Formats: sequence, C-alpha cells, structure tokens
Amino acid sequence: MSAVLQSLVNQPYKHGFVTDIESDVAPKGLNEDIIRLISAKKNEPEWLLTFRLDAYRKWQSMTEPTWQNVHHPKIDYQDISYYSAPKSKKKLTSMDEVDPELLRTFEKLGVPLHERAALAGVAVDVIFDSVSVATTYKQKLADVGIIFCSISEAVHNHPELVKKYLGSVVPVGDNFYAALNSAVFTDGSFCFIPKGVKCPMDLSTYFRINTEGSGQFERTLVIAEEGASVCYLEGCTAPQFDTNQLHAAVVELIALDNADIKYSTVQNWYAGDENGVGGIYNFVTKRGLAKGVNSRISWTQVETGAAITWKYPSCILRGDNSVGEFYSVAVTNNFQQADTGTKMIHLGKNTRSTIISKGISAGHSNSSYRGLVRITPTAEGARNYSQCDSMLIGDQCGAHTFPYIQVQNNTAKVEHEASTSKIGEDQLFYLSQRGIGAEEAVSMIINGFCKEVFQQLPMEFAVEATKLLSFKLEGSVG
Amino acid sequence: MSNKAANSGDYLQYLLNSWSAKSADKLSGLSQLRARAIDSVNTQRLPNKRDEEWRFTDISPLTQLAFPPSQQQSKVVQANDLEQFYLPETTNRLVFVDGHYAAELSTIADAPIQMIGNLPAMMRSRASTIESHLGHYAKIDGNVFSALNTAFLRDCAVIIVPKKTVIVEPIQLLFVSTQEEVSSYPRCFVIAEQDSKLTLIEDHVSITSASYITNTVAEICLAANAHVQHIRIQRDSQQAYHLANCAVSLAHASQYQSVSVSLGSKISRYNLEVQLSDENSECTIDGLTLIAGQQLSDTHTCIDHIKPHCTSHQQHKCIVDETAHAVFNGKIMVRPQAQQTNSSQSSRNLLLSNTAKVDTKPQLEIFADDVKCAHGATVGQLDSEEIFYLESRGLSKESARKLLTYAFAADIIHRIPVASLQQQLEKIVLNQMQGV
Repeated sequence: MSAVLQSLVNQPYKHGFVTDIESDVAPKGLNEDIIRLISAKKNEPEWLLTFRLDAYRKWQSMTEPTWQNVHHPKIDYQDISYYSAPKSKKKLTSMDEVDPELLRTFEKLGVPLHERAALAGVAVDVIFDSVSVATTYKQKLADVGIIFCSISEAVHNHPELVKKYLGSVVPVGDNFYAALNSAVFTDGSFCFIPKGVKCPMDLSTYFRINTEGSGQFERTLVIAEEGASVCYLEGCTAPQFDTNQLHAAVVELIALDNADIKYSTVQNWYAGDENGVGGIYNFVTKRGLAKGVNSRISWTQVETGAAITWKYPSCILRGDNSVGEFYSVAVTNNFQQADTGTKMIHLGKNTRSTIISKGISAGHSNSSYRGLVRITPTAEGARNYSQCDSMLIGDQCGAHTFPYIQVQNNTAKVEHEASTSKIGEDQLFYLSQRGIGAEEAVSMIINGFCKEVFQQLPMEFAVEATKLLSFKLEGSVG
Repeated sequence: MSNKAANSGDYLQYLLNSWSAKSADKLSGLSQLRARAIDSVNTQRLPNKRDEEWRFTDISPLTQLAFPPSQQQSKVVQANDLEQFYLPETTNRLVFVDGHYAAELSTIADAPIQMIGNLPAMMRSRASTIESHLGHYAKIDGNVFSALNTAFLRDCAVIIVPKKTVIVEPIQLLFVSTQEEVSSYPRCFVIAEQDSKLTLIEDHVSITSASYITNTVAEICLAANAHVQHIRIQRDSQQAYHLANCAVSLAHASQYQSVSVSLGSKISRYNLEVQLSDENSECTIDGLTLIAGQQLSDTHTCIDHIKPHCTSHQQHKCIVDETAHAVFNGKIMVRPQAQQTNSSQSSRNLLLSNTAKVDTKPQLEIFADDVKCAHGATVGQLDSEEIFYLESRGLSKESARKLLTYAFAADIIHRIPVASLQQQLEKIVLNQMQGV
C-alpha cells in the first residue's frame, strides 16, 4: 500500500530479549527418573508423584494427534528440558527479596510485581520458566478467604483441595499433550474462591519462558464455589530463539452452583521470525466444568503469538441452566499456524452457549477454527449460537472453518454462521476520503471486526489487545 | 447370508473373487481401467469410524453382508412393475436392473442413438471419447467403493451430448433393484459438450423390500457453456445399503444444478465432488434427506473452487424422525488462485423426535483473500410461534406441524424441474409424515 506501511512489516518482536539469570535446569530428556526428580525438587507428596507417573505411563502409550490442520517437524520429546527455574537460595518472604534482575524483566514487560505499580488493582502470579516467582496482593485476597498462589504452594498448604480437583476436568490421559503436562508440570497458578465471595480484584497469571531448550508445562486450577465469581487474566511472552520451544499447559476451571468464572488470555508468545524460524509451539488444553446449576464459564482469548497454536478452550455444561461462552480473536502473520476453537458439551437442561470467533490471517499464515457443539439427549432446551468470521489479508494465507455440530435432542436450537471476507477497497476508500490515513483505516476496520470479542476483555487487557493487534498487522495490508 | 466375511480384507477379496469377468471381455479398451481399480481395491480396506470421512457412519455391518455381485437378469422384470416410476414428461429412459442394462425396457425417443446408450454399444462408435474420460473424474484411490464399482465396470449409462445440442426432454436413468442379498454396481457417465444442455434424472428405486447393496458411481463432465441439471432420487428399500459417489467437473462458464433427495435405505452415503475447474463456472447444489425409523443417511459434498470468478450455492435440508441419524459434511475449498469466488452454503436440520440425531459439519477451507464465502447451519425443531400462528388460524396442532414440515421439504422439492416427479415426492413426504 505505502512505503510507510511496508517498512512496518518487519517490526521486531518487543519481548524477545533474554534475561541473564542463573537457572537450575534439569538435563534434557524424559523418563521416570526425571519425573521423580521434578517431584523431589518440589518436595511433593507421594500422591502427586503417583499422579505424575500414572500420566507418564498413559502418555507413553499415546501418539501425537495428527488431525489438526498444522504442519511442523516431528518434536523430539527427549530433546527438551522439563525443568528450569531461576536459582534462588532461600525462600522468599516478600517482594523485596525477588531477584532484581527478575523484577527488571517484568518491569520491561510491563507486568507490575510491585503492589504499588500503575496497573494496581490486579493481583498477579508470575511464572518464570517453570516456577512461580511472585504473587502479589496475597494478603488482601486472603482476608476475604480467597486462596491465590502458585500450585506448588497449594500442594503443600491446601493438599485436600488440589487432590480433589486436580485432573477432575482434564483427566491425566485426556490427550497427548495433557498427559505430558500431567506428568511433568512444574508450576502454575491455583485459585480458590470460597462460597459466596465475589473476588474484589482481577486475578492474573503472567507466563514467561526464558531458558532456551526448555519446555514450559504449567498447570492452572481455578475453583469457584457456590455463588462465587472471579475474573482471571493470563498473559504470556517468550524470548526470541531460533529453535522451537514447546509450551503444553493445562487449565482446569470448576464452577459450582451459581458460580461465575471469566478467564481471559492474551497470548503473545514469540511467533518465529518472518521466515517462520523459531517460535513457540503452543499446545494447550483448557477446559471448564460448569458443574453446578446456573453456573457460568466464559473464555476470552486473543491469540497473536506462537508459531503454532493448538488450543480449544472448552465448556462442559453439566449443571442445569449453566452458560458457556467463548470469545476469540486469533491473528496469524508470516508463517504462523493456528488451529483453535472450542467445544461446548451440553449435558444439563436449558444450558446455553455462545461462540464468537474471529480469525485474521496475513502473510503466509493459516488459521483454522475447529469447534464442536454437542447436544446430548439429556440437554433439554439447550441453545447454542456460533459465529465464526475470518478475514484474509493477502493472497498467500488461508482461513479454514471446521465446525462439528452434533445434536441428539430435538428441543435444542443450534445455529452456526460463518463468513470470510477481506478488507474492502470501498471501506478503505471511504475512510481515506474522510481524511483517515491508510494505516489507521486498516486498524479501525480490524478493530471493528474484533469488537465483539474485545468488549469481553477487562479494560487493561482490551487496551493491550487493541495495541497488540494493530502492531501485529501493521504493514501487512497493501 | 451364507458367506460371512470376518474382516474388511476378506470381504473385499470375496467380492473380487465372486465377480465373473467373462462377460466384460469384449471391452478390452477398458480392461486397463478395471485392472487398475482391482489393484487399488487390493491396497485398500473398508473405512471405519476412525477415518475422519466416516466418523459418524459405521459401515462395518457390510462385512457381515457378503452379498455377491448380482447376476444378469436372473429374474425378469415386467414393464408394468416399473410403470409407477415412469415420468410422463419424457420418453428418454434407460433402465438398469440390478446394475445390468435392460434394453427391452429402455426407450430413446428424440436423440440419435450415438448419444445415449449402454456402455458396450456406445464403445463401438465413441470409444476414444469414452476412454479418455471414463474413470478420470471419480477417484478410485482412497475411495474403496468407487474402486470396487470401477473394478466391476461393465454396463454403464453413457450420455454424450454433442456441441450446441439441447436435449429437451429429460433423460431418466432408472436403476431398479429386484434381488435380495446381492450387490449391484450401477454406473453413469455424462459428457455435455460445448454449449449443450441436458436434464438428467438419476432414480434409484426398488421393487423388493429386501436387503441388498447398491454401490453406484456417476461421472459428469461439462464442457464450456454446457448446462446440466442433475436430479438424483434415492428411494431404495428400507433394508438396503446405498453407497454413491458422484464426481462433476465444470469447464469455462458451464452451469451445474443438482437436487438430490435421499429417502430410502437403512444406511446410505452420498459423496458429491464438484470441481469448478475453469473461470465463471457455476453450481447450485441442493439436497433433501427425509428419514425415520433407524435409517442413517450421510451426505458428504465437496465443492472445489480451483479457478477465479466461480460461484457456488448449496442448501441441504434434513428432516429426521424417530431414531434416525442424518449426517451432513459440506466442504468448500477455495484454492489460492480462485479469487472473486462467491460461495454460500446452508445446512438446515429439523429434528422431529427426541431420539433423532444430526451431525453436521459445514466446512470452509479458504486460501484466497478476495472472496465472499459464507456458511450457516441450524438444528432445531419446528418453531412454536409458527405453530401457534397456524393454530390461531384454526388449524389443529397436528396439521400445523404437518404443514410446516411439508413446507420445509417442499422448498427443495420445488427446485426439481419435472412436475410429475415433484408430485411423486410430495406424496412421499406427506406419507412419511403420518407419524408427525
């Protein structure tokens, strides 16, 4: 389109720096000894080791899924280090003791570890490589009975809760990557909202992969008891390496009667360079169980990073009148590949689900929406509405839609719509005729396209997402 | 069912062995094609539910039904058995009984004999045309049923419409099943040359209510500016297994319109592949599935936009009653070159009972940016407000439901350009709805 836009194509990835920090890295490879090592390093109880070994044995008998619409060289699972942690000599008791190098890293990423920081009002749990380094506002949350800490801490301090819910939504043998995660997960966030409590602030986890050659396998568990509600945010970045790194996370959400969980993700892993070299393989299993009556689980995701994304945040709507929502924007550029979508499994009566998915592909990238809406015979009066729109920018990219609709109850009402379009010349002409520059016009049109999803994001995230998107696609039009 | 085959390999071997190739010897020009198909069958197996394409349709009962390929005319069919299926609009009719050509029942009125006929006869005059096209559109690798049909190729309805020729009366291809526990392999091959026009009615009927297997393949090739209307009715016996493949290729500015109606068979599967292989070609594909009892009807379509400026429209409707199961998988592929594609697809499903089941997957794969593609799917029951409206006008609940269900189906039936066939189908729809 214009030279200015062209020059913006190769905008560097902002978060691509490496923090020089001494790490404790486990030797590469995966076997029972490594799992025992991870378990021992984390001083875990026996039942968790059994859980891991069980998962490992199941994983060994499984094969990698091949149905997804992505292509990558075979991953050598023995060439990954399954444990990497910044070295710390003693247990941290306050934020002031966090390694200043780490603090600077997160300062640079714009994640406030200081409770006084500008983005106040959001409690953050920060995961650096494999371990949680800091959790803010712990005390304030504890006052209302909320437990918000790293999952390793939860294993020690609240074993009964972890034992009860871990693996209850995503069983250890659920799929290849979930089994791998269950075997080797090192840390993650744990959040428990007791009965009747509305979480006073947004909770957030920030993931950062730092060490080259390591994989990140974190586990998040969010439990909202009867009548509780929480809004949870997740962000991720990684440094720029020429090698591909594996990120296989598992997130489990459990909502009991009348509980409400809103889980938002802004994923900005390193996506590889303009030739498709390097980048994170983001193979994530996210699932929410709307267990109680009138419960609600809402997923919002803005997927802009990662060389390959394989991710289907799902809702199992078991409670009567429960609600599942999925709002997604997936942006791919250069050689990125995304196969993402959702599953809505309707089991309870009068369960409702909404799916809004927006895919934007540019460069040589491919993005696929893959979704399942299943209405089982017990789901009387279930209702689903799905909308998947794709936008293509350039003629080298692809957009694909694979919606599976399975209905076994005639009282259900299921609707699915999808469309594919590009930014129209007429739209651009109209805006430029009104004095709006080409670049800004494109950004406006794209933001309009994604508006329904961005509206679902909490304020700070929405601002970040909008910025991220315009940054990401700048220069790709023309 | 004396011959039970334990697994898919044995089943395929059994079929290949029980086919007598003697009668096909004369067609040496096609023996290569057949040999290739036999080789292909030997490398394949029957699909199972783990294959993505057969995820919802369990075809494994076939291995328990090792029905031998039907022998020619073992039971003579009388003309008056078939009269009910004849259409007053046309005298162009080719009849195939259990896959074998029945010359005495067929009539060709207004077309020169070299245009329409059975494969062996047509080979005498049009061998080169047939050899260069037959078997080139329906893929045999990766499609074991298409390969089997090709391996057993002997009789085949051949229609070659010459340049600038319009065949006014529709051509009815009547495929009749009469025997039980046999498998038949009907085949149909159409070339519409430049600027020609044709209406084709492919009608699969039965005069038995027994169990049998029909494995059919149709190939339709449209040259530039050709215009083909293809009506396909599947009304096999309720115990039958119907496996069908149809491949269509469209050249520059040609138009293909198809209406397929699936009513019969215990398990039926229809694969339709349409290739828009040159600019400005257009296709309209409509489908209606009306099933009840324990029927399973599976429709897989693939519309492949290969070149720019092509248009496709598709509407598929399913009405599912009792414990029947309808499957629809509609793929629209837009290749990197196919700019300015305009494509729309809709899958609408009506569940009449709380045990009926629908699996639908409208699928888009798009590699070009300047395109307009949309698809939609709905599953539900009759709208209670619409029923209420009709009740407020004095209709009983039952007739309101019938009327709305009928209207849902009639939308597709009315796209069939043959009045008598429309009426026949309307009658079938109304009869099927007795239980509604």
